[in-house]
Amino acid sequence: MLNRTHTAVFERGVEIAPEFVTEPYEVAWVDRGRWFVHVLEADPDTWLNLQTEMSPEGLTWCNHETSEGSFKAEGLISLKVEDPGPYTRLRLAVGDRTKRIKARIYLTMRQ
Amino acid sequence: MLEATTIRNGIIEANPALSRFSPLPRILCYDDFDYGINGWCELLGNHDGDLEKVRPVQADFRPPQISNCTFFDIGTHGAMNGNYALKLQTRPEPGHMALALKRLTSVKPGLVQLETYFAVKSEAWIGKRGEEIDGNIDPSLGDFGDFCISNDISNGDRRAHCCVRYVNCNAKGELVQKWQAKTSLQVTSKLEWSGSASRATDYHVRDPDDWQDIPDGQQALCYNELPTKINWHYLRWQFDTGTFRNVLLQVNNKVMHLEDVVVPEYERGFHQGLTNLMNLSVDVRTHSPVRNFIWFDSILTSVDW
Repeated sequence: MLNRTHTAVFERGVEIAPEFVTEPYEVAWVDRGRWFVHVLEADPDTWLNLQTEMSPEGLTWCNHETSEGSFKAEGLISLKVEDPGPYTRLRLAVGDRTKRIKARIYLTMRQ
Repeated sequence: MLEATTIRNGIIEANPALSRFSPLPRILCYDDFDYGINGWCELLGNHDGDLEKVRPVQADFRPPQISNCTFFDIGTHGAMNGNYALKLQTRPEPGHMALALKRLTSVKPGLVQLETYFAVKSEAWIGKRGEEIDGNIDPSLGDFGDFCISNDISNGDRRAHCCVRYVNCNAKGELVQKWQAKTSLQVTSKLEWSGSASRATDYHVRDPDDWQDIPDGQQALCYNELPTKINWHYLRWQFDTGTFRNVLLQVNNKVMHLEDVVVPEYERGFHQGLTNLMNLSVDVRTHSPVRNFIWFDSILTSVDW
């Protein structure tokens, strides 16, 4: 049997100015995944900081120990995450808090 | 010599996964969510590639989740069978709805039956809530809004959405705990874009008040005291793709006959390209700033074709 995979669209055109956190999502079954942030609009020379957060119960949160990064806010950005669960969410923040971006956010999951 | 029906019933009754259901002669889908979402995907409104065009009422139904039903106080609840259930989750915004659907077509007019074991809850919290808890009735019961089981069916000439809604709390936050059926059409993209209907705020109907009580539709579900205890309920819903009517709704021991409840139908011209459409939908809606959840252990769809 092929591995189980699933893609969820968390946001379709959300504004990040200066910060946004996705809704909690259950990923207890997931071994590894990948966030994709499709930057639809961005102020010039904007950087985007991504941090995967995780939770044992979907109510209290801490940073994932390895899944983080800072990216130039353009095109499609990807962030890998391993052992993300049982609940996960993504925190997005623009580097310069006076700037804004608009983005589509996906999480692809794999077992 | 054994009749084929007797053999079939014996096979179903001897199968632990199926013996808890009462399927019609042909099982179309058996969706065990230990194996993934089984085609129950998020609904998104129509667009032309530009997602800004999606109408707000259909723009944010949230992605379904595969849940092992984990809570802060006891850890993992697990599903009724196996470890995982399909979960729909609203945002913590009054009026927000999460909806998933399964897209099928019908082979010929006839009876269709959806059976499931489901559970509903509002989101738990950590710490003192500040409201009295008597050890039996929990204030979180008032945080849960409503949920629906519905379809979208067409034979090319006729189109309708059969729909039943369980209202735990209404928009005013009053605990009403009853079943309702819709009395107006769902505003589709074409209806709104053509100017034939104004922008809807309730996905299922033109006006949020376009619902009628189902006769003898009062029913208290097993809430069971805390938002972290989930009890699975049996639901059986029948509709007919020949009459475009709901036929029957059973939830545990309550059986409601729905053949006489009129289901609004679209005028011609509002269902082109939908020949033999048979979509099945489930949704949950919160009336409060608290996330609402509905879980499905499994869903079995059967037909009399």
